[in-house]
Amino acid sequence: MTKPRQWTSLEELEHDPALQSWVAAEYPAAATLEPVARREFIKLMAASFALAGLTGCEKSPFTTALPYVDQPDAATIGVPRYYATAVTLDGYAQPVLATTYDGRPTKLDGLPGHPVNKGRSDAFMQAAILQLYDPDRAQQPSYRNEPISWQDLVGKFSALRDQWKATQGASVRLLVEPYTSPTLQRQISEWLAEFPKTKIHLHDPTGLQDRRALTAAAYGEPFDLHYRLDRCGTVISFDDDFLGPGPHQVGNAIRWSEARRGEGKPGIHLYCAESIPGATGAMAAMRIAVDASRMSVLADTLAVKIGVKAVAAPGLSKDEALWVSRAADAIRNAPDKALVTSGLGAGRETASRVAQINQAIGAPGRTLAFTKPANDLSSSGSFAALIDDIHSGAVETLVIINSNPAYSAPGALNFSDTMARVACTIHIGQQRDETGSLCTYQLASTHSLESWSDALAVDGTATIIQPTVTPFYDVRTDHQIIEMLLGHGDIAADAPVKETWRARFGDVFEDRWRQALHDGFVAGNSAPVIPQPQNSVEAINADNSGEVDVVFRLDPAVWDGRFSNVGWLQELPKPLTTLTWDNVITVSPGMAKRNGLDNGDHVEVAVNGRSISGPVWILPGQATNTISLALGYGRRRAGRVGDRIGYDAYSIRPVDYPWRARGTILKRDGSSELASTQLHHRLEGFDFVREVTEQHPALPPPPSQASMYPAWPSAKHAWGMVIDLDTCIGCNACVVACTAENNVPVVGKDQVIAGREMHWLRIARYYSGEPETPHSYFQPIPCMQCEDAPCEMGCPVHATTHSPEGVNQMVYNRCIGTRTCSSYCPYKVRRFNFYDYRNAPESPEQAAHNPDVTLRSRGVMEKCTYCTQRIEAAHAAADKEGRDLREGDIITACQSACPTEAIVFGDINDPNSKISKLRRSGRHYALLEELGTRPRTTYLARWNDSPDDTERT
Amino acid sequence: MPASDILPVNQTIGGVSEQLTGIPLHFPARRRWLIAMTIASLLLALFVVSVVALFTRGVGIWGINVPVTWAFAIHNYVWWLGIGHAGTLISALLLLTGSEWRNSLNRFAETMTLFAVVCAGIYPVLHLGRPWYLYWMFPYPATMGVWPQFRSPLEWDIWAVLTYLSVSVLFWYTGLIPDLADARDRAKKRGWQIFFGVASLGWRGSAVHWMRWSQAYRIMAAIAVPLVVSVHSEISLLFAASQIPGWHSTLFPPYFVLGAAFSGFAVVSIIAVALRTMFDLKNLVTERHLDLLGKVLLATGLMTAYGYVFEIFDVLYSGNAHDLQTMIDRLTGAYAWTYWSAVFFNFVVLQALWWRPARRTPWALLLISASVVIGMWLERYMILVTSLYRDFLVSSWSKFTPSFWDWSTYFGTIGLFLVPFLLAIRFIPSISIFETEKTLADEKEAHHG
Amino acid sequence: MAQIFSPVADTWLRLSMLALLALMSGTLVGAIGIAHSAYVTSTDRVPHQPVPFSHRHHVGELGIDCRYCHADAEKGPKAGLPPTATCMTCHSQIWTNAAMLAPVRESLANHTPIPWVRVAKLPDYVFFRHDVHIAKGVGCVSCHGRIDKMPLTYRAKAFTMKFCLDCHRDPIPHLRPQDHITDMTWTPKNKDTPARVSQIATHAGIRVGELTHCYVCHR
Repeated sequence: MTKPRQWTSLEELEHDPALQSWVAAEYPAAATLEPVARREFIKLMAASFALAGLTGCEKSPFTTALPYVDQPDAATIGVPRYYATAVTLDGYAQPVLATTYDGRPTKLDGLPGHPVNKGRSDAFMQAAILQLYDPDRAQQPSYRNEPISWQDLVGKFSALRDQWKATQGASVRLLVEPYTSPTLQRQISEWLAEFPKTKIHLHDPTGLQDRRALTAAAYGEPFDLHYRLDRCGTVISFDDDFLGPGPHQVGNAIRWSEARRGEGKPGIHLYCAESIPGATGAMAAMRIAVDASRMSVLADTLAVKIGVKAVAAPGLSKDEALWVSRAADAIRNAPDKALVTSGLGAGRETASRVAQINQAIGAPGRTLAFTKPANDLSSSGSFAALIDDIHSGAVETLVIINSNPAYSAPGALNFSDTMARVACTIHIGQQRDETGSLCTYQLASTHSLESWSDALAVDGTATIIQPTVTPFYDVRTDHQIIEMLLGHGDIAADAPVKETWRARFGDVFEDRWRQALHDGFVAGNSAPVIPQPQNSVEAINADNSGEVDVVFRLDPAVWDGRFSNVGWLQELPKPLTTLTWDNVITVSPGMAKRNGLDNGDHVEVAVNGRSISGPVWILPGQATNTISLALGYGRRRAGRVGDRIGYDAYSIRPVDYPWRARGTILKRDGSSELASTQLHHRLEGFDFVREVTEQHPALPPPPSQASMYPAWPSAKHAWGMVIDLDTCIGCNACVVACTAENNVPVVGKDQVIAGREMHWLRIARYYSGEPETPHSYFQPIPCMQCEDAPCEMGCPVHATTHSPEGVNQMVYNRCIGTRTCSSYCPYKVRRFNFYDYRNAPESPEQAAHNPDVTLRSRGVMEKCTYCTQRIEAAHAAADKEGRDLREGDIITACQSACPTEAIVFGDINDPNSKISKLRRSGRHYALLEELGTRPRTTYLARWNDSPDDTERT
Repeated sequence: MPASDILPVNQTIGGVSEQLTGIPLHFPARRRWLIAMTIASLLLALFVVSVVALFTRGVGIWGINVPVTWAFAIHNYVWWLGIGHAGTLISALLLLTGSEWRNSLNRFAETMTLFAVVCAGIYPVLHLGRPWYLYWMFPYPATMGVWPQFRSPLEWDIWAVLTYLSVSVLFWYTGLIPDLADARDRAKKRGWQIFFGVASLGWRGSAVHWMRWSQAYRIMAAIAVPLVVSVHSEISLLFAASQIPGWHSTLFPPYFVLGAAFSGFAVVSIIAVALRTMFDLKNLVTERHLDLLGKVLLATGLMTAYGYVFEIFDVLYSGNAHDLQTMIDRLTGAYAWTYWSAVFFNFVVLQALWWRPARRTPWALLLISASVVIGMWLERYMILVTSLYRDFLVSSWSKFTPSFWDWSTYFGTIGLFLVPFLLAIRFIPSISIFETEKTLADEKEAHHG
Repeated sequence: MAQIFSPVADTWLRLSMLALLALMSGTLVGAIGIAHSAYVTSTDRVPHQPVPFSHRHHVGELGIDCRYCHADAEKGPKAGLPPTATCMTCHSQIWTNAAMLAPVRESLANHTPIPWVRVAKLPDYVFFRHDVHIAKGVGCVSCHGRIDKMPLTYRAKAFTMKFCLDCHRDPIPHLRPQDHITDMTWTPKNKDTPARVSQIATHAGIRVGELTHCYVCHR
């Protein structure tokens, strides 16, 4: 084993020659930084060395220590500091509280008190921090792929501006993706003032604008829809996975879980018609698999039952009819608490019909809120229009702001070649990606965590984005770059943002600015409106070409491809398939049988003339004639992690309506091995996931168990965790949070295939019933912290022991790797370092590590510790103040991330703690109770709220 | 010759002495030995390569994963240790029960035991994630102020194996002393004289020597016999002490001990036949010996088979859903082939031994024993893998495929066994001289008396 | 035929056997001894420092409080080394031209840290917090020794796990009142010791008996 050199403090490394030379080689840009920024940066990189290690018990050498020359008052070495700021997804702000150690961000959590996410987070927010340390980021601006200095750029831009002036910008195009930043808005309007004839075009791979188009079709003008799930008793969803990933997930999940908990019994029931199984369907009282193109038929029938429409659509199957009537009954029982929703896959026709139903039951203003888009982009030209203009030769300059159309534009438009016809192309972005590498100028921009900027959350609440660290590289914020293009020179990063908000805050600017930075948001969101739906419902575009519905979905791990180079997300098991490191073509069991397909077999999917091929995955509960393609893979310039993985669904994506098409599927030779973290999903009649019904709201009490061991002598506190299976939507936020908090390594596809993934917390995904009509369950499985732990008696060297507070402790530096503990563990929650899985010492990602958690070397076991570093920190704080621990002093990483508060951690000795109350619930049970391991991590049974009360498990 | 005879009486006592000391001193059958030695050395080289790869890259080079965290390393460890047991059983138990026929077999059986135990003992070291910290398993006043955990079956393991190894060595060596002296006295070359002289610790064969010697030898036998049982029972606790379905059973200790004896006797038979032909010892290792070995093999085999039957009964009787699931999976699942081929190689082939000629024909006995050795290896594999790869939670079910390095390490240990064993039969009398002579003398007396 | 060995051969044999036994046991004892030795625990060396800073002078003779320079000790996990500015508070006034202080002046001038050599150092997997130990009444001297007697600083105590455990197993005798934390000479008055100190412990709310579990120091 290579013994990593030991470091004492970040400071000590600042002048270490090894580090210096490495920095010089790895970050030429760093040389140009002014001394202070440079020291910051080197100190930060030094962290990566400092963290390189769990070493053996060798003698501690005398190492160099470099103190500050002049220590800032605020800085206490080794004490974290917190910043309220935001990262963005689809242009929306995801408000975060960033933890920084000695000047380097290590962890993001939802921003407490924010009106939308209330301190909760999703997988993307948790993983955003790794993009900051992405080794493949663009590290300085480049001109024709040659590095260039910002000073030189300022000169070149002024030359460009003269050309633009000549035509008043008629030859200039701005290409943007949906954004909400008021500053960017202001700058673009400034641009238009300067060059009036410039056209703005919108590239929208993630569908924000398409959603608005649906509302425009239904209500005449575009709106943003907000589901008030907390006020709902019944929600009917037509292929709308509102609990699934995306900017709205956290908000929806919070509201849904509030309603779901109800008083003693579930307060909200979901009726889902799904073409592709999703989180929403998994939580549904009644779910039916329906082909995407049939959604409108069901919607029509429902409309008839509600009395919105006269004639019923013919040809509903028995199951469909039953589902519709049950849904209708549910609505009639409590119309004032009902809501009907439809997703992009269901199409315009369904959306319009749903709008009418909602109108009829009076949902608008009650369970459904509308806001005018904070930044209405519908006026801007379409992407296709831009292509035409380019072909017509009208475009001489194209400015692409934070978008990657060369990858994410529908293949039919062939953007890469088209763009080559433009004389001057300017790309503003963090990555020199598929687009950036083709552009004349690639202007390297900052990550949100090192930017001054602003953005709005989904409800319109503004957040002023402040930097948590000075940029490592020679990069500028988007706003700085646009100012540069506008001829205002290379100005300070916060200037453009301040300018925007000075206008808004007026004379109390300083105070409100400071307040906004402190709170992390500016109170006040978009005002709701109540529109009237159109009576006309546009006819279903009866496209019957092809044999099957092809549905395009954004990938739950890498989204539209923007997260492709983030190892944490690539290795994140996708919610229902538990697949990692790949995208697949999911098909129904029926279709698999028809075409003789097995998991991993290669198929070719053709959509109007263009085709891609990839491996299939048979997904229980998928609609018979629907196949789904996952966007976000097949990238060519994502970086060392994300390149050349999977197929590129964009290449066959239709231009007019990019979410659903008709196509054909054809079996091809060959098959590939897929990295799934769970090989078997059928519950096989075991009671790992238990259910209660309204008839039998309590589980039978557990039998008393004799034990030859004396009861564990508990300290004042006894830590435990309760996980509510009724509100776990399998969103993976906890898994990424755990990975980030505990320095859990990424092991790569081969190791996952070998069965060696390292996640301390896995979400088991089960289904019961027939593969065609399954009931799905999510069960997060961290360490059970058994009171009578089988692992503990197995270890010959006392490397895993029991703490007085009941935590099953794993001591890495004592472990010799017999793996007995894992063999003996009935829950198989322990993870082993079969190889040295740590990042290379020189990797910038080292700096993302949590300094309070040891990095595990080769040959040692590791597992969930209940975030012991947080427990000990809380103890230290309380001990210093000479007080006792209080409820809420300790929040585990998974708990704080969970959007539905399904994970509750606390002191089970305190009868009034939240967890103790939950443990007294009738739904409370322990996993594998019969083994007598007395787990501290326990579960609350799922409610089976199926209207036809069928026993499922 | 009458049936009661074990050795043909038409040979002189001195002749036996000549013949056996002749093997190290003049060494017949050089060529065959060299061929065997070459193969063995190649295997040993493979072992060295595998261990280097293992220590430089880590246990990841094996096919193991979570949940199958133990596979080849542990199951070969059990297998080797099992083989070792026959040596002690034959020497010690049969010595105490005064079965004369053991005298032609015990020496090489004990030698075999030694090196088998060495091969077994090396696996627990290899399988560690951080083998350089092995010493933490020993109780010593460390600067860490912590001790090993004595509740752990692995901790007992260390002691079990070390005790067994040391007792075996002592027992083997004690038995060897008179023969070494004999060889010393017959040696002509100075070098040989000194070698055997030092080795025989100044044995003069005086009555006092003999008296003390036989006391010591019998006492050690008395210690060794219970050790055979305790050691392999302990090894079985490595599994039985866990809750894993298919392991968690009180059946395991006897089951393992019998299996051990079974595989051990198989290897003894193989070596008996091999030596017999290699050094032309038909006059000392007679068909009678083979016949007896065959019977013992059959007996222990049937006892092991009983273990199989009872295992199934045990599960059905308990009605535990997880045990049942594992049992059904063993009989029909992805690794059912290991179960059924274990049954075939262990018990089906074995039935031939009911037939006298099969027992008395060397090559037949050889093949049957070989099949048993393979069968017992498969059984250990089956016990390890089928229990781990699908334990309790469906969500942790996985699979196991041995990697190249799994195999190379395993075949390597065969080299690690053969090389010293071949050296042993080259340099020391591989059949107990004085004991065979004693047997012979008794028989001769019986005839004349 | 001639005897191979002389009559004393047996004696030699027995002796050499004894010797072998002695050798083996000796090696074992020796190895364990070395692990405890000053060499391995590095308590036997005075590392060379860029500035020959004397704790004896500053603490012992001038009586400067530890926390004047190691200011973070009460605030956070790390005591921290004094920033150059701290040295300069005095040395901008006195010894302003002393040759031995040149590195300090350079540090301030060039804004480059002084490369001190760390004396008190624990392995990476040990998470030690100064602040809690001070808050609970563990004096500096308990781990750092009579720093006020060190002309040049060396490691007074062997920072082995056993050293930590000895105190964590029974902290009471090692505690002192808050006002004597940095006091190098304080010793409990013999008559009132047990009562007084245990009263300190209860006041400090020390979780006696819970301080030896692994996660207190390792995570």
